[in-house]
Amino acid sequence: MPAKLSKSVWVFVALAGFAMPAAYAETPNEVLSSIQQDAAATPGFQGFSGARGEKFFREKHGNEWSCSSCHTDNPAAQGKHAKTGKAIQALAPAANAERFTNMKKVDKWFKRNCTDVLGRSCTAQEKGDVLTYLLTVKK
Amino acid sequence: MLQRILVWDIPTRVFHWLLVLSFTGAFLTAESERYRDIHVVLGYTLLGLLAFRLVWGFAGTRYARFSSFLFKPAEVAAYLSALLKGKAKHYVGHNPLGSVAIWLLLGLGIGSGVTGVLLYQEIGGDAMEELHEIVSNTMLVIVMIHIAGVVVSSLLHRENLVRAMITGFKSGEPEKGISRSFLWLGVIILVAVLAFWSNYSAIGVATPGADTASSRQHDDD
Repeated sequence: MPAKLSKSVWVFVALAGFAMPAAYAETPNEVLSSIQQDAAATPGFQGFSGARGEKFFREKHGNEWSCSSCHTDNPAAQGKHAKTGKAIQALAPAANAERFTNMKKVDKWFKRNCTDVLGRSCTAQEKGDVLTYLLTVKK
Repeated sequence: MLQRILVWDIPTRVFHWLLVLSFTGAFLTAESERYRDIHVVLGYTLLGLLAFRLVWGFAGTRYARFSSFLFKPAEVAAYLSALLKGKAKHYVGHNPLGSVAIWLLLGLGIGSGVTGVLLYQEIGGDAMEELHEIVSNTMLVIVMIHIAGVVVSSLLHRENLVRAMITGFKSGEPEKGISRSFLWLGVIILVAVLAFWSNYSAIGVATPGADTASSRQHDDD
């Protein structure tokens, strides 16, 4: 029995290590409210705006690229990497159920992509506006 | 009677410094999509260099051969305890502790390169992304330890190991030196890598970022 038990423990560990990150840990709305909690700490916060998020998404911010350089102006469509030309899966949750379901991944990619597009990290306000916009995009 | 003896052949040295360049460059371009093409080409370079090194580990000159730095765990432990007492024995090639770093760097380099290629081919998803980062970060840690080891060993034995990896020469007994430097092979490796880089740059120019930056115009079409 101990041998069998330890085997199942290992199977569990393996599953926990590899399968769980693939499961949807959060919903996009939970991710949004987590960003909202950060934003609310900023004085003068008056909620998120999808319209402001869309503008932010399409505009350049001093660098060569905007968000839409890779994700296109239609976040429900497949994007294209501006450097490598490789396909990027749709960003809008309506078109791609995997998007914004893992806070760690959301943080990681906002950090990477904001550094490219803005040359700095995005504020919680900016992230929340963009996600609010993406949640309004229909498939 | 100590003399100036050749220890590292030219292919080994060219490999070493090109690996340094590729790994450093790949690390510096890792966090940005703007340099993704450079990151990828340096990853391929790293894999190509390591593939050569695996062959050279069997076919190379005395100290480049794996058999010259394949130590038993007991030898590594003995070297470590001697080192802690400040009485580490001098080795012409890799010392037992240094060899551990070399084996790890070879393994992690291959791991980093292979997971990178798989990731770029979109195989393995998020788990592959994690794995590529973990393996690469671990490699960075071993690189740091390797550099620290080089500094400590250089001070301890009063020999400049960095210079030895540049010139190939150390001070030692004449019969311990290698006789051939294999200059031609070093040149071939260098030319092959430079040709690969310039060829890749040409591909990079053919698919500039401006391509998709104009996607808004396409939408208006």
